[in-house]
Formats: sequence, C-alpha cells, structure tokens
Amino acid sequence: MVEKKIAYTKKEALDFLANHDAYIIAGGSDMMVIKKNVAGYAPLFDKDVLYVSHIKELANIYEDKDGVHIGATATMHEIEHHKLCPSLLRKAISEVASTNIRHFCTLAGNIGNASPAGDTIVIDALLDAKVKLESVDGVRLVDAKDFVLGVRKIYRHPNELITELIFPKIEYTGELWFKVGSRRADSISKVCFAGYYEVKKNVVTKFACCFGAVAIRPARSKELEAKVVGLSLEELKAKQPQIAGDFAQIIAPIDDQRSNKEYRQTVAMNIFNKFIDDIVGGAK
Amino acid sequence: MTSIKFRLNGKDVAVDLDPSMRLIDVLRDHFSLKGVKEGCGEGSCGACVVLMDGYSVNSCLLPLANVEGHEIVTIEGFKETKQFDVLQKAFAEVGGSQCGFCSPGMIIAAQSLLSHNPHPTEEEIKAHMSGNLCRCTGYQAIVQAVEIASKKGAGLW
Ligand SMILES: Cc1cc2nc3c(=O)[nH]c(=O)nc-3n(C[C@H](O)[C@H](O)[C@H](O)COP(=O)(O)OP(=O)(O)OC[C@H]3O[C@@H](n4cnc5c(N)ncnc54)[C@H](O)[C@@H]3O)c2cc1C
Ligand code: FES
Ligand code: FES
Repeated sequence: MVEKKIAYTKKEALDFLANHDAYIIAGGSDMMVIKKNVAGYAPLFDKDVLYVSHIKELANIYEDKDGVHIGATATMHEIEHHKLCPSLLRKAISEVASTNIRHFCTLAGNIGNASPAGDTIVIDALLDAKVKLESVDGVRLVDAKDFVLGVRKIYRHPNELITELIFPKIEYTGELWFKVGSRRADSISKVCFAGYYEVKKNVVTKFACCFGAVAIRPARSKELEAKVVGLSLEELKAKQPQIAGDFAQIIAPIDDQRSNKEYRQTVAMNIFNKFIDDIVGGAK
Repeated sequence: MTSIKFRLNGKDVAVDLDPSMRLIDVLRDHFSLKGVKEGCGEGSCGACVVLMDGYSVNSCLLPLANVEGHEIVTIEGFKETKQFDVLQKAFAEVGGSQCGFCSPGMIIAAQSLLSHNPHPTEEEIKAHMSGNLCRCTGYQAIVQAVEIASKKGAGLW
C-alpha cells in the first residue's frame, strides 16, 4: 500500500524521506500531469508520496552575505513579484506557464523536474545559483548547473529534500532574457537564452550567457565567456562572427514535436547575435 | 485515509478521500460543483480554474493534499457576490461568452486579476488571461468585458 504524507514542517518531511523512497510533490504542476489517471480517479503512484507545499518555513525569500535565498515552497508568483529576487529570474518566471499555474508552482519544482525545456534552470545556471539539499544526515550545496544530470535526472539522494536555491549577488550593466515559444501561456520553450554583461570605459568587463532547450541541460561555457571579457566594443564587433561560431558549438538542438533542430540552431544564434549587438550598441 | 479540511464556498468542509485526488474531481464528483469544467486536464486551458485564497489556480493540477487549510471558491460560490454580478453583465454586454464552457474559468481568472489589480491595462489583462482558452469568442470580447467590469465595478475591488 502506497503511503501519502502531508508534511507541515521540514523535520516531518526529512523524517519521512529518511524511511521512505517517495515522490515529492510541491505545486504538482509537473507531477500531476506525469501521473495523470482517467478523470474521476486519483493519479497513479507506484511508490510513497510526500506533499511539501504546506511547509511554511521553506517559503521564505531573504538575503544574506551568500546572496538571495529562495525557499523551495515559495510560489513562482511570489518570486516574480519579490524585489529581492534577481531581475533575470523574475523576467523568466513571468513567462513560465500561465498566471494561474504560477500561483502555485515552484522554482524548486522546475529544477526538480529537470526538463530540457525548463526556463528557470537556464537562469539558475547563468547566475551560478546553488541548490541546497537537506536530509537527516545533513546539508549539501550543489551548483545548479551540476544538479541537472540529464532529462528528468537530478543529483538528489533519495532521502534529500531541496530546501532552497541561493543566488549570489552579481552586479552588471545589461541583461537579456529571450524566450521563443508558440503562444504566451503554456508556451514551452523552443529556445530560450539569458545573458548579462558589464561594459566599463568601452571594454567588456563581464560577460556570461546560457542557452536553454537546445541541449539536454542548460548550455553555458565559462571558457568561451572568458575570451570575450577584456575586448573593446570595436574588437567585439569585429570578432562577432567568430565568437558566435564558437558559441554555436556548445548547443546541440534536437528535433521534437515543437520544432526541428535547424530552426532551433538558427533562432538560438540569432538571439546570441542580438545580445552581442545590444552590448556593442550600448543597450542596457 | 486522512481527513482533509478546507473552506469551500464559505463553508468548512472535511473529506475522507485519497489526498492525491485532483481537486477538480473532488469538486465535481464529491460536491457536485459542475461549474468547474474539465477541458484539457493538463493545465493548458483554464476551464477548471477556481480561487485558492483569492488567486486563480488550475484545479486539474492541484492534489487535494495541497488544499488542506485553504479557502476554495468556485463559480457557484462566487455567483453570490457583487463582483460576479458586474463581471457577468460585462461579459453579456460584449458577447464575452458564447457556448459558455470557458466562462466559469474566465470569470474566476478575471476576479483573481481585478482583486489584486483593480485597474489593469489591456496588456495586463491579456497577460493574466492567457492561461484561459476560448474556442468561440476570439478573446477580444473577453478582454473588453474585463475592461468594462473594471470601470463599472470601480470601488468593488
Ligand atoms: C500547462 C503547463 C505549462 C508549463 N509551462 C512551462 C514553461 O513555460 N516553462 C517551464 O519551465 N515549465 C513549464 N511547465 C512546467 C512546470 O509548471 C514547472 O516545471 C514548475 O516549476 C514545476 O513546479 P511544481 O512545484 O508545480 O512542481 P511539482 O510537479 O510539484 O514537482 C516537479 C518535480 O520537482 C520535484 N520537487 C519539487 N519540489 C521538490 C523539493 N523541495 N525537493 C526535491 N524535489 C522536489 C518533484 O519531485 C518533481 O519531480 C508547465 C507546466 C504545465 C502543466
Ligand atoms: S482542465 Fe485544467 S487547465 Fe484545462
Ligand atoms: S465561449 Fe465557448 S469556449 Fe469560450
């Protein structure tokens, strides 16, 4: 018999996970679709289930020396409207699913779901966020970019709960979030892109970008980013085709029901070039 | 089976059902609230939208477990309010409802918007209502209906 537990405190959740290999449900916007049954019947779960959305102590959003901490049960709606949260994250969230769904789905659920088309995992990777995992054995911090291992695969031990995501504070002068989907709501990304930069005295002093939905995991190369830092805006303009060519190598789009790989490759690089044009043109 | 308690249309209720049941099934089958419609069953159409603590949510995605202790209002409960009256008249005035299948979800989504943003711009209305699909009206009338309700119901929200 499958056991179903509603946790009200973190301790209750961790104690349950210590003794049960369980599905975790936060908002349920992924899990309730994946486990859907026919109308009128409860979804089918082949193992125990832990409901975490009532854990209030994990709904906090606060800032300390490590950055902004976003609790695992805070809803996307709360994050979208919270001034402390990074602006790129808020922009990306404003285009996740629909307002109705954002009223109850979570950021932890988005990375927990590990879909290649997940939007916020691109921001997590770009902003060097850390995933905090807790169990009865202790606490672990994992870089968000290493947490997603593959399609619906994450680096979580069965007794662990994601308790928060931590975003270090990053100062920069310009940013871009760009999502291509088929309609405004329920628009799963065909391609998405996030980037930030800083330009001082005509020289690029910070540069980072990450592509989504064009590889199994968010695609970012700190090595290639480092080659852009230090270039003057004129040099950046002159080297743009070569730089774009290098970045094109880090993505590996596939054909699926939403679009084909050629379309994705072209659109991804068009957005990348727009990002470079923004920098060269002095856009904020 | 654990007993799940919540407020439904202004009354305290308790149900002894599987906590993983979808809220939509509990509302339609257990409480006979048939104004909650099932279109897609996957979060895409908004026909099943109800208010949870004043915010529109898709009842086809919500497990009963997540509703414990919260306040749920369906179109049947909302029908008793002045705000409903204004919204219903506005939808009727511009033809914002034709076959009517999407209308309970549309009205609930509009209430969620107006109660947090009483004077939304056209862009804000479109963005907010984009999770609710309509096969009949072509949306323009729905956006207009929300604009009219916002004006005629000024002070209510
Ligand atoms: C119609 C529709 C449109 C959508 N559109 C988008 C979109 O545009 N962009 C996008 O990125 N996503 C989209 N999604 C997917 C989904 O809404 C997001 O992935 C959402 O963030 C999931 O959050 P949740 O809390 O509802 O997750 P749940 O379904 O509760 O959980 C998702 C996964 O995360 C795990 N999990 C959740 N919380 C924890 C925790 N604390 N610790 C460990 N594991 C945890 C769960 O076990 C599960 O594997 C859409 C979904 C639907 C139904
Ligand atoms: S039935 Fe719930 S969104 Fe379509
Ligand atoms: S009026 Fe028919 S679906 Fe909207």
